[in-house]
Amino acid sequence: MSRITRTLAAATAALATAALLAACAGTAAPEAGGGADSATPVSGGTLTYLEYQAFTNLYPPQAGFYPNGAVVGNVAARLTYQNPESLEIEPWIADSWEVNADATEYTFTLRDGVTFSDGTPVDAAAVAKNFDVYGLGNKELALTISEAINNYASSEVVDASTVKFHFSAPAPGFLQATSTINSGILSPATLDLPLEKFGAGNAAAIIGAGPFVISDEKLGTELTFTARDDYDWAPPSLTHQGRAYLDKIHLIVTPEDSVRIGGLTSGQADYVRYVQAFDEAAVESAGFTLYGPQTRGVNNSLNLRFTNPLLSDLRVRQALVAGVNAQEIVDTLFTSNYPVATSSLSSTALGYKDESEHLAFDPKKSAKLLDAAGWTEGADGIREKDGTRLSLDVYEAKPQPLSKQTLELVSQQLKAIGVELNVKAADAGSYAEDIKDPLKTPLYHSMVGRADLDVIKSQFHTKNRNVLLSNDTKLDALLETVASEPDPAKRLDADAAVQDYLAEQAYVIPLFEEPQVYGAADYVKGVEFESVGRPVFYDVWLNK
Amino acid sequence: MKHVLARIGQAAVVLFVAFAATFVLLQALPGDALMIKFENPELGLSVEQIAALRETYGVDIPLPQQFWHTLSGFLAGDFGYSIQSGTPVTQMLAEAAPQTITLALTAFLLAVLIAVSLAFLSSLTRFAWLRGFLRGLPGVFVSVPVFWLGIVLIQVFSFQLKVVPVIGADPLQGLILPVLTLAVPISAPLAQILVRSIDEVELAPFVSVVRAKGASRRRVLWNNVAKNAILPTVTIAGVLLGELIGGAVVTETVFGRTGIGRLTEQAVSAQDTPVLQAIVVLSALAFVLTNLAVDLLYPVLDPRLRRLSRGNARPAPAATPVLEGAAA
Repeated sequence: MSRITRTLAAATAALATAALLAACAGTAAPEAGGGADSATPVSGGTLTYLEYQAFTNLYPPQAGFYPNGAVVGNVAARLTYQNPESLEIEPWIADSWEVNADATEYTFTLRDGVTFSDGTPVDAAAVAKNFDVYGLGNKELALTISEAINNYASSEVVDASTVKFHFSAPAPGFLQATSTINSGILSPATLDLPLEKFGAGNAAAIIGAGPFVISDEKLGTELTFTARDDYDWAPPSLTHQGRAYLDKIHLIVTPEDSVRIGGLTSGQADYVRYVQAFDEAAVESAGFTLYGPQTRGVNNSLNLRFTNPLLSDLRVRQALVAGVNAQEIVDTLFTSNYPVATSSLSSTALGYKDESEHLAFDPKKSAKLLDAAGWTEGADGIREKDGTRLSLDVYEAKPQPLSKQTLELVSQQLKAIGVELNVKAADAGSYAEDIKDPLKTPLYHSMVGRADLDVIKSQFHTKNRNVLLSNDTKLDALLETVASEPDPAKRLDADAAVQDYLAEQAYVIPLFEEPQVYGAADYVKGVEFESVGRPVFYDVWLNK
Repeated sequence: MKHVLARIGQAAVVLFVAFAATFVLLQALPGDALMIKFENPELGLSVEQIAALRETYGVDIPLPQQFWHTLSGFLAGDFGYSIQSGTPVTQMLAEAAPQTITLALTAFLLAVLIAVSLAFLSSLTRFAWLRGFLRGLPGVFVSVPVFWLGIVLIQVFSFQLKVVPVIGADPLQGLILPVLTLAVPISAPLAQILVRSIDEVELAPFVSVVRAKGASRRRVLWNNVAKNAILPTVTIAGVLLGELIGGAVVTETVFGRTGIGRLTEQAVSAQDTPVLQAIVVLSALAFVLTNLAVDLLYPVLDPRLRRLSRGNARPAPAATPVLEGAAA
């Protein structure tokens, strides 16, 4: 490794340690694979895994949707491996790498003998093609650009096992991006397929270099993963090498919560995703293990769209922040797997800074601020100003756990300070349209998980998700610094500056740190998750 | 023959109207499937990227052109592609339809069995309280939410008693609980109609005649009353198809089964226009065919109608007693 690589690795490790220290209050880390169990892992067997929703698309940049991620993550290997505990970036398909001083050039040396499941080699040309597609997109095939890759310019095949990437501006987040599921390496032939061919019904045609392949698909209801016997390129830092322990995994889509939980507790399934908070006790009391890996990104929050005239006044936004009691939400609706948020970022996220002083629940402060802003209590207890009621709308966000219940509780809390919050439900079409309008959706409920500093830019930058529907150039500038500052220490400062700014401007009401909650039978060993809580089946084995 | 051709012509018109109305209504909905798909925040696409994608997919084609394109595709048996997943709609239907047809037919047969048993038992029983109870059951059945019933059956028979598995079940095991779930609400209107018809026929003069000749209660019911009570029940069977489709949506979702119902639920939530268009036209086709079959079955079941359709005879006078019964 070059000196730069080592410096970067050291910096990443330092960041990770800080994040871990901060995470003490969170849930216990998931048990480490194989090694942590007293028994010796045995090979063989089929795991029955229940998923909440069917996957929609297996194009890696679209694997942010959890059901997609579980499939892509186990079928496609990546250039690098992010250690889920230390968050350090380690070798996987790439043996080593070099990064130039301003993070505009990355050179990867590839491991020998790695093949896709169709037998073709994972060489420099294949890797170059992958990142050309993920970094630039392919408009003709409708393949989209990955949000994890910023400022991508071009690739260069130096020799069969060396590939170099060029960036138009510093891209310090790229190394971590190569470890994410969104950068899963696929065979060059797969990347010639149009986006539709990554959809349901075609899963077995998606060729990667991961420990499993999709061997069978029942449209919309079932997937079968089969272990690759010749898989021999696990990340070197893992104790387990060679092929996966399991022979097969049956992934069965079970949308009904009670059926998924009952399926687990009655022994018809081994491992389930998406245990709702209200089902956690049932799973534990039946003697099953709960896993609550954190998603380590932007917290589950309400975003205040300040371009809505009612929210343009800082005092009104501050009043809303102080009027929401996140502790009550967690105590009433959720469990200890959902820690109360103390910043816009999760305390287990890289670059987290405690902002709790700005987020304290203080209805008296809310009242004072609203009085000062000229909003006075009307006949029905809702505040008014110049004949306008302080009435705001928010849509139930289907992807967020218990969104409707959460918003209804927030609505009750805000009513106490004289603010009306109407919780609305909508069909998918109206929702997709209305959430882009700050007048129709002044408060927007969302989160995003990714274990890199860039995650905050993904959520708030006007060129990315833009959840605030912002026009704030200062915020954009702060976010761009996070995504393009090559000096790790300065990048960390920039991330803290964004969190300070979001808190000071009262742009966000953080609610809780969102986990992914899984349940498994005790004979399911080696349960592991990648850095944002997607299941990794490589180390799983059955002790029965 | 002319009658049959006219009926087929009618069916074609109904299908076209269903197609056109669905097309217009789906277009009138706010938002569209591409927007729902690509604006999913979990994909993290920017406004510019979404605009480029919309262009790639050619969403800005004028409506009449889209209508013609879709219609000609349908006529050629090509239903297009699902926008949400990119899968050909014909493939989705080909995987789902057999599952739903099996489920619906089996459930319908079971429903008929339940309805007939209820009606006959309630007519034969000597105990007034039992009759009251049996006759009250359809009312209960009709008000049981399919969703709730499915979950209760799963919890009791699969998770508690472990009689049949729900997850990883073989095709036969996988049918048992869904069929039960779906049959109960469908048996209710069937049983109600059957009970009422039996009551009406039993009051008919010819029944008194047969009774006076010394026939047993059971014999009268089987030989005379049942035959006459069956006609209104067949009529309602056509209407029940709607109930079957609606029930399948819920049943298939609760049980996680492949099927048209599950497909519908997913397509509605993603506003997946091509899939919805195909499902509506297919359902309309099923309705048209069922009603055609019911119409053609009438003369077979009722000789009065047979004579009617054969010649230019006027409808039989209302006072004419039911002939089959009197013949016994």
